[in-house]
Amino acid sequence: MPTPIRMPDFGTNVSEVKISKWLVDVGAPVHRGTILAEIETDKVTTELECIAEGVLLERCVEEGAMVEAGRIIAHVGALEGLAGTAVAPAAAVVPVRPQPRSAEFLLDLYRRMLLIRHFEERVKYLFLEGVMPGTIHQYQGQEAIAVGVCAALEPADVITSTHRPHGHAIAKGLTVESLMHELFGKPTGCCRGKGGSMHVGDPAKGMIPAIAIVGGGVPVATGMALAFRMKKEPRVAVCFMGDGAVNEGAFHEGVNMGAIWLLPVVYVIENNRYSASTPIAETVRLKNLADRAAGYGIPGVTVDGNDVMAVYETARAAIGQARSGGGPTLVEAVTYRITGHSRRDPCNYQPEEERKKALAAEPIGRFAASLLADGVADQAALDRIRAEVGAEIERAVQSAMAAPDARPEDALEDVYA
Amino acid sequence: MPKLTIAEALRAGLREEMARDERVFCIGEDIGIPGGWGGAFTVTLGLEKDFRERMIDTPISENGFIGMALGAALMGLRPVADVQYGDFLLCAMDQVVNQIAKMRYMSGGKLRVPLVLRAPVGATGRGAQHGSNMEALFLNVPGLKIVCPATAYDAKGLLKAAIRDDNPVLVFEHKLLYGAKGARAESGSVDASSEIPAEDYVVPIGKGIVRREGKDVTIVATLLMMHRALAAAEQLAASGISAEVIDPRSLVPFDWELVGASVRKTNRLVVVTEGPKTGSVASEIAATAAETLIDYLDAPVLRVTSPDIPDPFAPPMEEFYRPSVSRICEATREAMR
Repeated sequence: MPTPIRMPDFGTNVSEVKISKWLVDVGAPVHRGTILAEIETDKVTTELECIAEGVLLERCVEEGAMVEAGRIIAHVGALEGLAGTAVAPAAAVVPVRPQPRSAEFLLDLYRRMLLIRHFEERVKYLFLEGVMPGTIHQYQGQEAIAVGVCAALEPADVITSTHRPHGHAIAKGLTVESLMHELFGKPTGCCRGKGGSMHVGDPAKGMIPAIAIVGGGVPVATGMALAFRMKKEPRVAVCFMGDGAVNEGAFHEGVNMGAIWLLPVVYVIENNRYSASTPIAETVRLKNLADRAAGYGIPGVTVDGNDVMAVYETARAAIGQARSGGGPTLVEAVTYRITGHSRRDPCNYQPEEERKKALAAEPIGRFAASLLADGVADQAALDRIRAEVGAEIERAVQSAMAAPDARPEDALEDVYA
Repeated sequence: MPKLTIAEALRAGLREEMARDERVFCIGEDIGIPGGWGGAFTVTLGLEKDFRERMIDTPISENGFIGMALGAALMGLRPVADVQYGDFLLCAMDQVVNQIAKMRYMSGGKLRVPLVLRAPVGATGRGAQHGSNMEALFLNVPGLKIVCPATAYDAKGLLKAAIRDDNPVLVFEHKLLYGAKGARAESGSVDASSEIPAEDYVVPIGKGIVRREGKDVTIVATLLMMHRALAAAEQLAASGISAEVIDPRSLVPFDWELVGASVRKTNRLVVVTEGPKTGSVASEIAATAAETLIDYLDAPVLRVTSPDIPDPFAPPMEEFYRPSVSRICEATREAMR
């Protein structure tokens, strides 16, 4: 069944708007969020977003025509694949035009991203000081992905995470205090000191202990989605993974089963372009990892992972589709790891020019600039958030360092239920 | 009481548990295809007629569906994953060892993993990749429970106990003990059928059983080897040796109370398990006996196992690989010297 694309009501004074330019040819692949055409109203020039996945079957009006709200202007058809799911090859980064959101919502996203960044910077410092035990894999530069995706989840939804899990944990609602205690190995931590940096999680917050075997979370998240299907619960599982995971067998087995049963799961690949120190160009031939989706008969979307609103809107669409029985989406969020792979990694393998560009494009500065430009907040408001975040982290550090150490013999508990 | 084979007893156990608890479901390859086989050894035959939505037939993706079983268990279901041949567990070692066994521990005790993995083991004319005894590999993985039923009564009772347990339980079944009929019958099968009571029962995990009482020597043996140990004890009795045969039924936890009491009585121990000798189940039992029962032992603990080779194909070589009744007799006589 083709999906009709109707002219939205732009709320203008006049009843008709002009399609000034078509941007997509008939037969081209389209996604939710693809800009189909430029629209002129009596006030502004704007864009018309696609609301379906598939190919553009038909353009029903000519360029330059005046169209009233509600009229069908195009049809999008899904290519039939396995179990009737839509099959669409992924395009390059899909431009997504964010819907207007409240200032409160936007500032909460900002606060969460900043909380992750400052948490990671503080942890790095504690680690280099030699105060914190173990090893760490950090999330600086990728904050928009965890925050954008988790903002689109309901509290009852669940996530799986990776060896780089601090950002996912904070985005899913774990407190920085429970995380800091865990990183210090304290029995007051979120995993009672049995997990550590690579296994943080809290089932009460919808995050099982992070899975530090690359790709290992893909079957597990798929199985959680199977349980939601069998129990008829309207919940969704999101599987976070890095670009390295797409070359693991577990990725293939898990995504394929999510696809054949159209399970309520969303696979989010955070493409930070390095598998540890090995650049992406040496590990895959594909330009877009989302193209892997075609091999499973599910939609694949590549999104700018440093644009928190683009990530949020993409995740919202994918999660909505999963929840409503439409099956999984493979979301590739393109980003850059602006910190080392793990402790004390100076990143000598990242070309300097590339790093410079990446630092200029990092997500938090970008989002702050757009909040200021859009008048959502002034600099004083952003500074206030920064101060609050800093204080919250400092409190967590102090309480974690003051907490009693784990008792050695506690190691013997929690093996069996 | 009806007499059932192990395959039939397992099927009855699955049917009862699925009827009793709607959270229980089966997942695996070829387990519920209408007109199919009911798994490689008929255990799930026909269950899809009553539980279509709870018999999940998967692609050939062991790491995938075993990982999915974990995800489903964490979300409150009680999966029974059917591993077509125990050897295929190796495709899923990450999920079994890194994820399933460790998930509760990594969560600091916040999670439970009620999950059953059923896997056939034993050399049975299929060569090196469909006949391995996998038990020893998992002894070294804390977080898993391991059971190995040798009779139909125990198969049903242990399976039901495993399904009701809040921990991951590996159920190792021996291909020559299933008693599968028709096209899926195994040549060289041993009758392991039992009278199965009509009422609900479980066999507690961690409890062994004395299969034959004796006073001169203790023989601990699992799965097919338990049946061979009983045959050996019968032969030994004719030459005046009274052997006590213990079937531990569970490997983790292990019933040291039962074995310890027997060894304190007989002062001699022979352990029989199928599979390579080095790092075997027999090795672990012998080591613990040497460590804790040395004051009661009048002879070295002897292990009767396969040699340290892959399971060979040619029937004479395969029979050489599997501990035989005569080798068990020989070792027991040596322990008596």
